[in-house]
Amino acid sequence: MVNSGGQLYTIEGVAAGLIILVTAYLVLNTTTVYTAGDSHISDMQLEILGSDALKMMDTPLNSSVTESPLQQIVRNDDGFLFREMFMRYTNVSGFGPKHDIQFSASYTYESATDASINSVPLNASRNLTGGEHAVRVTKWVIVNKKLPSSAPSEDRAVLVEVLLWRD
Amino acid sequence: MARLNDDAQWIVLMGFLVSFSLFFLALIINQSTIVGQSTSESVIEFPKSDVRDISHVIKEHAGNNGEIDDRVYHDIINLSIKRKGAVVNYTLNTLHYQPFDYTHNYSLIHYNNGVTIYNENWTSQ
Amino acid sequence: MPDDRGTLSIDFLVGFTIFMLAFIWVAAMIPGVLLGMQSSTIDTEAVAYRTGVILTEDPGWPSSPPWEFKSDLQKYDISRFGLALSKDTPNILSREKINRFFCSSFTPEDYHVRAIFGEIPYHMNISITELNAGIGNSTGEIIPMDYSYGYIRRLAMIKGSSNATLNRSYYAAHRFNYTKTGPDFNVTRHEFSILINTTKLQGQMKNPAYQINPTRDRIMVNLTDLRATIFPAPAATPVDPDDVRIRLSNVKIMKLENTIPPSLSTVIADYDKAYINGGSSCAPPACIVEDNVSLVMEPSVFDLMGGTYSTVYINLTFDMEDIAGNPVKSSFLNNSCSRPFDYNYNPANVTQPQLSEAIVEVAIW
Repeated sequence: MVNSGGQLYTIEGVAAGLIILVTAYLVLNTTTVYTAGDSHISDMQLEILGSDALKMMDTPLNSSVTESPLQQIVRNDDGFLFREMFMRYTNVSGFGPKHDIQFSASYTYESATDASINSVPLNASRNLTGGEHAVRVTKWVIVNKKLPSSAPSEDRAVLVEVLLWRD
Repeated sequence: MARLNDDAQWIVLMGFLVSFSLFFLALIINQSTIVGQSTSESVIEFPKSDVRDISHVIKEHAGNNGEIDDRVYHDIINLSIKRKGAVVNYTLNTLHYQPFDYTHNYSLIHYNNGVTIYNENWTSQ
Repeated sequence: MPDDRGTLSIDFLVGFTIFMLAFIWVAAMIPGVLLGMQSSTIDTEAVAYRTGVILTEDPGWPSSPPWEFKSDLQKYDISRFGLALSKDTPNILSREKINRFFCSSFTPEDYHVRAIFGEIPYHMNISITELNAGIGNSTGEIIPMDYSYGYIRRLAMIKGSSNATLNRSYYAAHRFNYTKTGPDFNVTRHEFSILINTTKLQGQMKNPAYQINPTRDRIMVNLTDLRATIFPAPAATPVDPDDVRIRLSNVKIMKLENTIPPSLSTVIADYDKAYINGGSSCAPPACIVEDNVSLVMEPSVFDLMGGTYSTVYINLTFDMEDIAGNPVKSSFLNNSCSRPFDYNYNPANVTQPQLSEAIVEVAIW
């Protein structure tokens, strides 16, 4: 004879199992990216500071100077001047929190001879190890330069790229 | 059939009540951090400085000379797509207004990085 | 019989499932419900960013005439503060705007509705520090040390004003000294005029960052070594050059008439702003001047004249007196026989506008 005493528990079990399955499906289906809660804020600040610094470097101080410091840096491959100016702008401290910013700068051009894209490092305050959480800022600069050195000297548009991060 | 003994159900109910209130509190606190974060996210995402920079360099170069330098034009377009992932294009027309001897440069600048599309119709002074 | 204390009935299970579904639905709608809620602590970073952008990348509103010309009584006409020179020159700030912005007559409420925005009365501190000078302006409250605040730092250039300093050798080189010989050897009244051609100044330099723009930036003319230009006439009763007094009788803004020869006859306005005489400020009209006079010309004067009078002459009238106040014939600074002093882009005449680096900091809490 079949006893119906356990039926209720079976239905409960099946229902519970279904709920668990649905829950697990929902949880696993949601992509979760774990980042520090305020990392976007400091990224934003770093990006603004970096692009402001590049903008400042691309502004001559008066009308008698025809070439901005940044154009001069790219034309002469003057990594020291870049480092000096960029660090001065990014690490200047007002009343706010002290910045401890590291950078790695290069400029990119398209080769006039074989149309390949090449990057020339300018300077870096520290080598990138890959673990840094860096932001990238860029600035277009027009220089009269031989790019590459075998090409004729002419007006070229190059992209100055700077990676910025905090220690 | 066995009669259910539901003596202890209130304990289960209390457990639910407490866990739901915790859940709501967590939700509200979570929302508050999202506000500041999503603002800076949208600041990072919107390529304001990129757009400004590209339009600045085009105006400075093409606008002042009144003509597009072929080499610089290809540099800008190719580097934009390869290093910035953005489609950039620009054209330049020069209009010489004879009676007053005015020369105006009209430039159309187009920028598209897949998320943000920007078109500018610029006239030199 | 099994011990089934604590197990749930099927009714409860069904009811609870329905409840859970409803609950999930409500929970999904929570963000929408919270939209209307505001809290002053959560978005200070966003507000600081916004204020930083408004200050460094926006010229403010109204733009023509610009907001910095509004007096304290007219401050309700200002709808937005912004320090940039123009919308095409982000990060290049106008000194006129900065000076007006930090004017002590603005209340925290004024800053709040014109630069910070939003309904929550945030606490704020805005400061601009010049890197080379190391000096800065700041407004707002003292930044709290014990809790966090929203903060943004922007780098910017401040456009300096242009100025011209004329001295003895400049007068000699440009024949600005009236020393005619003969019967009309000298006169008692001398005119010195300064040409300001706004159209030409704006046309020759298109970039607002380096433009001499009398309608937006103040310009300054310093006349030095004035006494060196005095040689009294050989009259019946000679006067010692040291006893000649120079009275700046008036300063007028004049327009050139197209007569033959062209004459400076139409007075557009009296220049009624104070000028610097030696070390102190001196209000027009008549004023005895020492060796130096500095004329600082406010942009609002030129902006009011607008397009109608874009080329004007600033005419200074000097009267020569002895100690008793009687007119004395003497030579003096006078360019009515040569050419007006042209305020232009020639670095030999005018010290050109120079940009100086600064940081703009905004803290909100």
